[in-house]
Amino acid sequence: MTEETPSGGRRSLARMLGIGLVASVLGVGLGLAIDWFPVQASTQASTIDTLYDVLIAVSVPIFVLVSVVVLYCVWRFRARPGQELEDGAPIHGDTRLEVIWTALPAVLLIALCTYAFVALDDIEAAQPDERRIRVTAQQYAWSFEYPNPRGGEPIRAEELVLVEGETVRFDIRALDVIHSFWVPAFRMKRDAVPGITTQLRITPNRRGRYPVVCAELCGLGHAFMRATANVVSRQEFDAWMAQQTQGTQERGG
Amino acid sequence: MAMKLRAPGWYRATAFVGLGVLFALGLTSAVRAASGLDPVIAGEAWLLVGLIAVPLFFLVGIGCFDYWFRWAAGKPTVPEDHSSHGAHSWRDYFRVNTDHKVIGIQYVVTSFFFLFIGGAVAMIMRAELAQPGTQIVDGQTFNGLFSVHAALLIFLFIIPVFAGLANYVIPLMIGAPDMAFPRLNALSFWMLPVAGTMMVASFLVGPFASGWTAYAPLSTTQPIGQMFFTIGVQFAGASSIATALNFLVTIITMRAPGLSFFRLPLLVWANFSTSLLVVIATPFIAASQFFVLLDYGLGFNFFSASRNGDVLMYQHVFWFYSHPAVYIMMLPGFGIVSEILAVKARKPIFGYRMMAFSLLAIVVLGFTVWAHHMFVSGMQDWIRVPMMVTTAIIAVPTGIKIFSWLATLWRGVLHIDTPMLFALGFLTMFTLGGISGVALAMLPFVIHVSDSYFIVAHIHYVLFGGSLFTVYAGVYYWFPKMTGRMYDETLGKVHFWVTFIMFNVTFAPMHLVGIEGMPRRVSDYPEQFASWNLAISVASIFLGLSTLIFVYNMVSSWVGGPKATANPWRALTLEWQVSSPPPIFNFDAVPTVVGGPYEYGVPGAVHGVFPDPDKDGADAAKQQPATTPSVAQ
Amino acid sequence: MEAASAAQGALVHDEHHGPPPANRSSAVEPQMLGMLLFIISEVMVFGAFFAAYFFIRIVGGAEWPAQGTELPVAIAGVNTAILLSSSLTLHWALVSVRAGNRAGLKAGILLTTLLGATFLFIQINEYVHLGFAAQDHAQGTIFFGLTGLHGAHVLIGLVLLIMVTVRSFRGHFSEKSHWGLEVPGIYWHFVDVMWIIVYTTIYIL
Ligand code: HEA
Ligand code: HEA
Ligand code: CUA
Ligand SMILES: [Cu+2]
Repeated sequence: MTEETPSGGRRSLARMLGIGLVASVLGVGLGLAIDWFPVQASTQASTIDTLYDVLIAVSVPIFVLVSVVVLYCVWRFRARPGQELEDGAPIHGDTRLEVIWTALPAVLLIALCTYAFVALDDIEAAQPDERRIRVTAQQYAWSFEYPNPRGGEPIRAEELVLVEGETVRFDIRALDVIHSFWVPAFRMKRDAVPGITTQLRITPNRRGRYPVVCAELCGLGHAFMRATANVVSRQEFDAWMAQQTQGTQERGG
Repeated sequence: MAMKLRAPGWYRATAFVGLGVLFALGLTSAVRAASGLDPVIAGEAWLLVGLIAVPLFFLVGIGCFDYWFRWAAGKPTVPEDHSSHGAHSWRDYFRVNTDHKVIGIQYVVTSFFFLFIGGAVAMIMRAELAQPGTQIVDGQTFNGLFSVHAALLIFLFIIPVFAGLANYVIPLMIGAPDMAFPRLNALSFWMLPVAGTMMVASFLVGPFASGWTAYAPLSTTQPIGQMFFTIGVQFAGASSIATALNFLVTIITMRAPGLSFFRLPLLVWANFSTSLLVVIATPFIAASQFFVLLDYGLGFNFFSASRNGDVLMYQHVFWFYSHPAVYIMMLPGFGIVSEILAVKARKPIFGYRMMAFSLLAIVVLGFTVWAHHMFVSGMQDWIRVPMMVTTAIIAVPTGIKIFSWLATLWRGVLHIDTPMLFALGFLTMFTLGGISGVALAMLPFVIHVSDSYFIVAHIHYVLFGGSLFTVYAGVYYWFPKMTGRMYDETLGKVHFWVTFIMFNVTFAPMHLVGIEGMPRRVSDYPEQFASWNLAISVASIFLGLSTLIFVYNMVSSWVGGPKATANPWRALTLEWQVSSPPPIFNFDAVPTVVGGPYEYGVPGAVHGVFPDPDKDGADAAKQQPATTPSVAQ
Repeated sequence: MEAASAAQGALVHDEHHGPPPANRSSAVEPQMLGMLLFIISEVMVFGAFFAAYFFIRIVGGAEWPAQGTELPVAIAGVNTAILLSSSLTLHWALVSVRAGNRAGLKAGILLTTLLGATFLFIQINEYVHLGFAAQDHAQGTIFFGLTGLHGAHVLIGLVLLIMVTVRSFRGHFSEKSHWGLEVPGIYWHFVDVMWIIVYTTIYIL
């Protein structure tokens, strides 16, 4: 074992940072390569997925850095035979280092928060012509109410039908306990709370059928409280709506 | 027999439990008769009152209050009576004991018992989740399983096990003969088995099934099993508050001469901070469960939306406790890791003062972030952004700690034994869990993953990879001191590696599964998640089995391990300067502290000096000025 | 436990010799500090109930008091005066014992207990004649919740006071040693101060 000199320490440090850098690049690459998300079916989804990529790019290096330092120290500074009774270097601190590792994360986090704030503003921005749909949650089913184009009783449906490219504002309420309205493909969720009406805005941009999930524990049927969101073209939607209004007229008759 | 029934102990406790049942029956029947309700004997009301009365009767029966009753009645009491102090046989661990070392061991063993129950419950859960569809348990039972799992692991494992370790170590570390209030300490302990038994017993009537968060109004409309949680938490909470008061008073008023705050070992700092959190925050969960109890039992309207009640109020009150509670579950672990890393790296803790201040910073910031659990709850939108910022900022003091630990390793002489392995495992795994926490603070992202398996992954990375790893580290580290025996190093290392690997295989995929859209708290899920869940379930069985290695190691070493010397780790802190296990009153004379706790590598450094018993007089005289307090009675 | 006795072998004391006296590292009396910390906890319990009040009345906007109900502000005001005067008599008891005046101690502590009991009695009487119940609406719930929580504290305080009274009459406490009176006393003053806050928010605002 060679005596650890300050310059030797510096060389170790450089070697370790080199390893860390390579590992970080690999880690970030891996993080970005993994297909984390379900399909993107709303404009909100792409904003959120990009945010997540940024989070990966920031957080993987931090984790890798910590792990590399631990592993490197274990490898480099572990007690070798004959060292059982030796002590380490009596280093009590270093103000400059401490300032750096306080300030750097703080700056990074403020930057992340700013970015997240902008992204939040983006995904929640109101649009001029929003369709308003009322979502009602009760143990253990969803129902959706559309304003009736011909006036009168709103149209109730068990399936959520949405128009591709058209922003909808959901007014969500609950009749019994708390539920949570979540469409993973849209990346958006909001609780349904007894006594108040909560709101959520989504702009679907991809046709298809996606699961609507209840995300807040609401009792024994919580796992089964699901519905479908069906994103269709405007024509299809109008046809569906016409069919529904007919239904109400016949029933209301 | 009559003697046995009058003396505190299990006979009298059993009799008192019977009395408690009768008392509950009498009270409910009398009240029902007086208010003209029919039938006079109502099972549910009886059970509900019994849940409160029987534990109290039990505590009186076992003997927690005897001294105070004598005191209250104005009868002569002997404050110097130490008959209930110290353990002379294993039986002494099963009675009300006022010795902090006995209580510490009672705490640790009891809470590990609840870890095994809570973990076994998780095994049933994973068995059900191995395949989509319903195989073993129905939806409601499944909800009961994860509720009991989390309630036991949080309120009866992590929080009390830290209190137990601290109970054992802190008076020794600060050179005190015991805690400030030994009888209160005993009472705090005995409330725990009561609370735990209650939560496990809920399986007899159908377990509480609204999650450990017990959100209203679901919890106010559940079957009676919910009350086993609602009332059990009161006992666990009262226990934590009492212990925290005790720690604070002990640390403030009973430090050895020369042991200023900035010479305290960081474990003491950590428990000081934790106790502040407990004293300030825990009353909030007590209140939140009072609300539920009143709504449930007496038809109050705290949470009935149709009568002006406010549903979200529950969450605000609950998280105002339960966010600080996650630091209650982590800060003592930070303390343990600081002890171990310094000793095992043979180096002073890097940046001692910042380590202490960052704990206090976490305490303060911890009270400003509760609504990050309510980002999608439908509360006022404007609260979210400030809460996002404060939540993110909490990573700064935590980061200071992580980086200082890393710097402590740098250029040390690392002894990689079992406590060190768990401490290093903690460093990496907690960092990962903390980072996923910071991701959760980022609003747009959490809107997607809230209440999904991503949260379950975060929970286990911070609580298992964070807290539980530090608990294991601490138990191995102080095992020689507590039992006077050495544990088996090889088995310890095997335990670490199996746990570390299987932990990651179990919980890492949950991040992915959650982002892909699997909600938490479900017994059934779509086909799409089947293969991941199967892999997780298989890994979790090995994770469970790894615990058995630990149990075997602990039991066999305690019974027949090699005798431990007083200071096998060559540590400087005071608990290692007395025999293993320590004498019944810790120190024959109070030591004097002359330096910092972590001066490894500093030639000739000493932390505490002990008066030499041979020249008692001279030494005592020298210490006179420091030891005599200048307080007027 | 051989180690324990081995370590004690050097000393000639027997098993029950007791611990060495702990070093006193702070000028604060441990019981006093414990009680102050406990009061912090208690303040937080009330804080949670006030949070409930805040959410129901301010955030939820429920009208106050609930429609068709009237709170007996004047009677409760008299009751407030009764409770506050019990703080004075308690202080008198403390001053007396400090001066070695046992008669004053006994009279003061007995009066305090009686005043406290009167307060509780009037409060219960008020409950009976209020005309609304906690089950009717959230306003009723929070009214009974806050005043009931406070009432429970008065009850605990009374139990403590009764103990102190018993001990006073049995000849405990002296000029030198009266922590057993002072520490429960702090609790009682806290209960009084808390009532002023409860009374103001519930009855007056
Ligand atoms: C021991 C317990 C523990 C700890 C310590 C933490 C720590 C943190 N937690 Fe966690 N959390 C839980 C236990 C814990 N949590 C539990 C049980 C839940 C679920 C409750 C339920 O609903 O059932 C939860 C849920 C939870 C949520 C709510 C999610 C939701 O339900 O929608 C959020 C959101 O912000 C969050 C964030 C954080 C953050 C930011 C930290 C931070 O304190 C972490 C700080 C640490 C680090 C960041 C790592 C080290 C730092 C560095 C190396 C510096 C550099 C780092 C950066 C610049 C990023 N947690
Ligand atoms: C300290 C806290 C802690 C710990 C240690 C654990 C440990 C484990 N947890 Fe826990 N968990 C929580 C805290 C914790 N958990 C919390 C707070 C929640 C949220 C609950 C909620 O939503 O309300 C949760 C939720 C939770 C879920 C999600 C439930 C859901 O949302 O549907 C799952 C699912 O897999 C899970 C699994 C496990 C597993 C497999 C372990 C394993 O590590 C357990 C290993 C230990 C043992 C197995 C015990 C010892 C061994 C034996 C007794 C021998 C017998 C062994 C065999 C039969 C193999 N936990
Ligand atoms: Cu509805 Cu869960
Ligand atoms: Cu939190």
